[in-house]
Amino acid sequence: MDLAMLKEYLPFLIPLVIAQLALGITALVHVLRYPHYRFGNKVMWAIIVMLVQFIGPAAYFAFGRGNE
Amino acid sequence: MRNYSAFLKKEVLEYTKTYKLLIMLMVFAVFGITNPLMAKLLPEILRKLMTDGNIMTLPEATAYDAWTQFFKNATQMGLIVMVILFSGVLSSELSKGTLINMLTKGLSRTAVILSKYTCMVLVWTISIALCFALTYGYTVYLFPAGETANLIFSTFCLWLFGVFLLVVLLLSATLTKSNYGCLLITGAAAVVCMLVNIIPAAHRYNPISLATDNLGLISNSIAVSSLYCTILISCLLSLLFVFLSVLIFRKKQL
Repeated sequence: MDLAMLKEYLPFLIPLVIAQLALGITALVHVLRYPHYRFGNKVMWAIIVMLVQFIGPAAYFAFGRGNE
Repeated sequence: MRNYSAFLKKEVLEYTKTYKLLIMLMVFAVFGITNPLMAKLLPEILRKLMTDGNIMTLPEATAYDAWTQFFKNATQMGLIVMVILFSGVLSSELSKGTLINMLTKGLSRTAVILSKYTCMVLVWTISIALCFALTYGYTVYLFPAGETANLIFSTFCLWLFGVFLLVVLLLSATLTKSNYGCLLITGAAAVVCMLVNIIPAAHRYNPISLATDNLGLISNSIAVSSLYCTILISCLLSLLFVFLSVLIFRKKQL
């Protein structure tokens, strides 16, 4: 991808990156602070929420989060 | 009334604390941003994929394509995400037993159902409004020339279908004990609506037309007036189902 094209799509990329980072970091903080999960362990969830875009944090909050 | 507003406040707090609000907003925001982007990039991706052998002329993407993406994503993934997130609306509190204490202390069951429904509708309204605003903004940015017909009305139909689906969800939540049962009944209701839609005569009275006719509306191939009947039926059914859920929940053995 050349630089001009990247510049053209920057207004799209910035909000998407912000959204992913916001979700990922919220989920990561939650993973580290509450180490009780329905299944899996801390390392697994930390990797999933940071590396799987959008679906990772959503899956963690929907299925992985244990009851405090 | 005080019961209702207090429980509504608790519901809003619950959606924030369980991150359900965050997920809903993020999912719909991401859809909102990617709809026009996908419409713009799809012809270019196809062009890159095409080899020398097969030549196909691709029309330039327009604002109409962006809105096609919007209505496809919102009616499929959007509604599915919403139903899955809200499937535990009653069952989670009943299985944990946190609702029983409040009910025995005099919280009215009607207030519980009504405030839960209000809160779900509220979250759905904010999400679809956010998605619509983002898609609108980026569509104007990418395709300045495009004019789309009946946009607001079409989105209103989609919103109304969401409201109808939520009341079906609420009714099935009062009928079953687990959130899987709730999901199953809601899914079955959607499938029944789709099957009924096969009969052409029923199309005008079927609530699911609100979610399937959007593309026809924005391309002007379906007249706005043909949906008035559906809107009326959906509103009446929603009211009836809210009434039924309240009745069933009042009689329900917890």
